[in-house]
Amino acid sequence: MLADLVQNTLDGLAAGASYALLAVGFTLVFGVLRRVNLSYGPAIMLGCYAATFVHLHYGAGLLALAAICVLASVAAGAYVERLCFAPHGKGSAIAAMVASFALWMQLEEVAMLALPRHLYPFPPLYEGGPLAFAGFTVRVEALVMLAAAVTVCALLWGILYRTRFGVAARAMIDSPVAAELAGINVPRISMGVFALASAIGGLAGFLISASVEQVTPMLGMWSTLKGLLAMMLGGLGSLPGAVIGALVLGLVEAHSQWFLGPQLRDFIAFLLLFILLAVGPRWIRSRHG
Amino acid sequence: MSDTLLEVRDLVTAYGKIEALKGVSLQVKQGSITCLLGPNGAGKTTLMMTIAGILRARSGTVAFAGREMTSLRPHAIVASGVALVPENRLVFPAMTVLDNLRAGAYQRRDDFAPDIEKLFQRFPRLKERSAQLAGTLSGGEQQMLAVARALMSRPKLLLMDEPSLGLAPLVVEEIFRIITELHRDGTTIFLVEQNAHMALKVAQHFYLMEQGKVTFSGDPGSLAEDEVIKRAYLGSAK
Repeated sequence: MLADLVQNTLDGLAAGASYALLAVGFTLVFGVLRRVNLSYGPAIMLGCYAATFVHLHYGAGLLALAAICVLASVAAGAYVERLCFAPHGKGSAIAAMVASFALWMQLEEVAMLALPRHLYPFPPLYEGGPLAFAGFTVRVEALVMLAAAVTVCALLWGILYRTRFGVAARAMIDSPVAAELAGINVPRISMGVFALASAIGGLAGFLISASVEQVTPMLGMWSTLKGLLAMMLGGLGSLPGAVIGALVLGLVEAHSQWFLGPQLRDFIAFLLLFILLAVGPRWIRSRHG
Repeated sequence: MSDTLLEVRDLVTAYGKIEALKGVSLQVKQGSITCLLGPNGAGKTTLMMTIAGILRARSGTVAFAGREMTSLRPHAIVASGVALVPENRLVFPAMTVLDNLRAGAYQRRDDFAPDIEKLFQRFPRLKERSAQLAGTLSGGEQQMLAVARALMSRPKLLLMDEPSLGLAPLVVEEIFRIITELHRDGTTIFLVEQNAHMALKVAQHFYLMEQGKVTFSGDPGSLAEDEVIKRAYLGSAK
């Protein structure tokens, strides 16, 4: 029993690390633009499809595939930003969100036209089996994911707190009008934040695809849902909150899957969100209005 | 001294169908303190936000140092040498005092560390609190920070929107002392104020605005102060 708890906790943290990467990217865009980008996941999916396409037709090493995931996700993210977010400016948040839903459908269609089968293999991150110690098993993929999440968070902190770009991005998160008055080139910083978030998402997409060793068009919706859920659990717009929310989400899923069965896994995660939104502390419900 | 630094001509700014500015024309002379007075809702803040590029003018022009800047984006307006200290200060509350100043220097590519040192000498309170989050400062300190942040861009023209709003009398006096100091050091200042008494003491020229239009302009002394104050607070009885 206790052994199960520990094993589930380890599995949950590993899953949480992948959600953390997704949630951090999601939160950056939400924090800077006050907009929900539903196409965040689909842009990542397209990045992974681009890598799969290259892998199937030309063959490429893991590092090259990782680079393609990141670059193609950034390109798709920039496309979404130009079409959905830049034109609306200070205008309707709903219009931008609905537009990003439309692009979601478009990106999915592009992926399915390029690779029409439902499922394609993705080369594995690690060929060997899981590591065993003290009776517990840990997948090497999970350790890589955890290391990637920690590294990305540290790098992101450095960018936000130690660079001119970071000062500008935090200023926009704090007060968009004041940022403009301070002389910050708001459209350029928005684009930069979008690119940064997409790059983090692309890396997450690569690690997830290489862990499960397959890609499907569902990766888009899955990434958006996990990222959104973790961001909301952590209190909208807070980066440390997003990481904590992601870990909580991973743990809740792992334990509820073990105790209640895999069918109820997502149900429990959404139930948790519902309860937090309905009766949770005020900072979860009303951050940034 | 007498050439025009800022020239606003027939400026119209509207929120939907409601025109907040109905054709405003005024000038700010190089090296002056020019003051804009008027009752609440006259359109003073709208004018400031339009000059700064946050609001788009429907028609009319704003020219700075002879250069048309009506269509420029806010960051380009800051780059050309105009900085606005907005109403209600609008500091970055979750950032430290030092980071607020760094944000104000975003347009600068040169080393701005000496500017921060200079501003810390002018505002010793900010130096004491340089690592503190701006949201935890008092109203007066936030106003100093808002001014200091604007100065980080080394503006030739400083726009100030109600810098004394909601501050204690002693703090208001300090703000006006700073305004005169900045002016003495060569910054041209265009000031919106409710505190007409203080504003008229420092300004060389003033405009009265009512219901989106400039209704009077003159030098302090050209109209009895209580008449100006009456109009500034109550609007002219017609």
